[in-house]
Amino acid sequence: MSTSVKIVMIEDDLGHAKLIEKNIRRANIANEIAHFADGDSALDYLFSEPVKANGPLLILLDLNLPDMSGTEILSRVKNDERLRRAPVVVLTTTDDKVEIQRCYDLGCNVYITKPVDYESFAGAIRQLGLFLSVMQAPEIE
Amino acid sequence: MLALRPWLEAFGHFVRTPTLGRRIASLLALAIVLLLAINIAVFVMIRRTAEFNDTVEHAQQVRFTAREILTRLVDAETGQRGFMLTARPEYLSVHDEAIQAMPDLFNELNALTEGDSDLQPRVERIRDLSDRRLDVMERSIVLARTGRIGEAVSVIRAGQGKALMDAMRAEIAAIDEVQATRLQFRRRQSEWAGGVTVLANALGALLIIILAAASAWLIRRYVIEIQAARSAVDRLNAGLEHQVRHRTADLTRANEEIQRFAYIVSHDLRAPLVNVMGYTSELEQAGKVLERQVAAIEARAPKAVDPEAVVAVREDVPEAIGFIRTSTEKMDRLINAILKLSREGRRNLVPEHLDMVSMVQKIADSVRHQTEAASAEIIIEPLPPMESDRLSVEQIFGNLVDNAVKYLDHGRPGRIVVSGEERGGDVVYRVADNGRGVSDRDHERIFELFRRSGRQDRPGEGLGLAFVRNSVRRLGGEITLESELGKGSTFILKFPKRLMLADAGDLA
Repeated sequence: MSTSVKIVMIEDDLGHAKLIEKNIRRANIANEIAHFADGDSALDYLFSEPVKANGPLLILLDLNLPDMSGTEILSRVKNDERLRRAPVVVLTTTDDKVEIQRCYDLGCNVYITKPVDYESFAGAIRQLGLFLSVMQAPEIE
Repeated sequence: MLALRPWLEAFGHFVRTPTLGRRIASLLALAIVLLLAINIAVFVMIRRTAEFNDTVEHAQQVRFTAREILTRLVDAETGQRGFMLTARPEYLSVHDEAIQAMPDLFNELNALTEGDSDLQPRVERIRDLSDRRLDVMERSIVLARTGRIGEAVSVIRAGQGKALMDAMRAEIAAIDEVQATRLQFRRRQSEWAGGVTVLANALGALLIIILAAASAWLIRRYVIEIQAARSAVDRLNAGLEHQVRHRTADLTRANEEIQRFAYIVSHDLRAPLVNVMGYTSELEQAGKVLERQVAAIEARAPKAVDPEAVVAVREDVPEAIGFIRTSTEKMDRLINAILKLSREGRRNLVPEHLDMVSMVQKIADSVRHQTEAASAEIIIEPLPPMESDRLSVEQIFGNLVDNAVKYLDHGRPGRIVVSGEERGGDVVYRVADNGRGVSDRDHERIFELFRRSGRQDRPGEGLGLAFVRNSVRRLGGEITLESELGKGSTFILKFPKRLMLADAGDLA
């Protein structure tokens, strides 16, 4: 992944955020990571002019947020002319079939369940990192 | 007598209870009594009228007979006079004929007036007068026959005969008057009685009309009450259906809420657990780094290392991390169990025909290596088929057979019997084992989530039976346990022969 791609992480649990960041770094991904702990500030950031204007994005999204559902953010992003090209990775504890289907219907690109077992969790994030390192993110114009 | 008792009791109850039916019955009884009274009065009246008629006829008879006597006497007189004037014997025959009829008439009159103290003396007097009159007549006739006409005429001229006839007329008139007075008295009596009867009849009729009106009113009220009750029942019936639908919807909603609650709770419990486990691993990694550092320092300068730090890094920290890890792993398993239960509760049921024998046979085959190891056998008796959700039923029987195998008593050869029968619209299955059994106080408890019974020497989280009961209930059935500690257990399952799904989603 080109270094210009910015990773936007929307995750209310600071512990999870830190673990995710740690394991992404361990997978040798050095891209800038912007972390938001709630939906509003994340949306404010995503829909601000500089972000819209600048460079490709990748969104890591948790579904259980305190102020709104992650699917709400997902649908907003995927309904935006420019942002919809940004790959969205849903990373959440929910492994409910209906919820997964809904996310893909709304245009999510990858859905990953956070395993409780840390080894699997770390493994999953590292694999995500490996995946990100070879993934091409489209330019947002 | 025995048969009469309940009837009497029922009657007593009827009399004691003030009901509309009782009121109507008593009104009708009163009406019947009134009618009877009127009937009796009319009967008595008819009898009295008949008596009165007899009296009238008797009186007429008396009068008629008395007059007849007078008439005959006058006839005899006429014959006598004709004979005296003409001396022709045919006049005498008129006279004789009249006289011959006299004794019969007197007998008749006597019979009619017998025992009548008013009339009898008068009749006697009439008879006496008549005899005397006849005597006078006889004398003049004898004189006329012997040619002494002058003497005979002087007998008549003496006027004795006329005086006797006048006295007789007076007597007969007196009898007439007595009879007329009596008749008048009787008539008045009869008229009064008739009036009373008419009045009683009118009163009775009026009462009957009133009673009939009261009965009609009561019956009308009764009918109105019945109609009101019936429409209330109709209304209730209509409401009941609505209510059942409403309640079912409520239940379904409540059930969905509980499912959703369990689901959300287990997910929200999972998030912190990710942190606990994650940072435990981070700690462990950090601990290893520290341990390496301590080991390196120890190798270079053993005195520089605090022994407590060595113990902390090598023993305390790994021990603490080990406990944290096993606890969080257990918690994870429990949360997963709750999730599984709630997910099973949300799964759509698909009823289909199930051949229970082949299903249980497959389950038995899947645990064959365990049963062989424990030298146990599974006996499958003929089982009735049913229509239900295949996956749920497989899981139910799988769990029960697994449990039976798991808790066999190793002191004796295991024997697990699966049997069943149809009972009405239901099918009943039994999974019986001769294993260690469940003590009485745990019969209900073992069906609860995370609860187990007996020695905790077999692996398990206490999920199986909770899951089984949940599934059985979802299929509209019920599960009970008969068990004796140390002897064995029998799980009894009852299902409807055909699974019926509620429209608004199925109830757990």
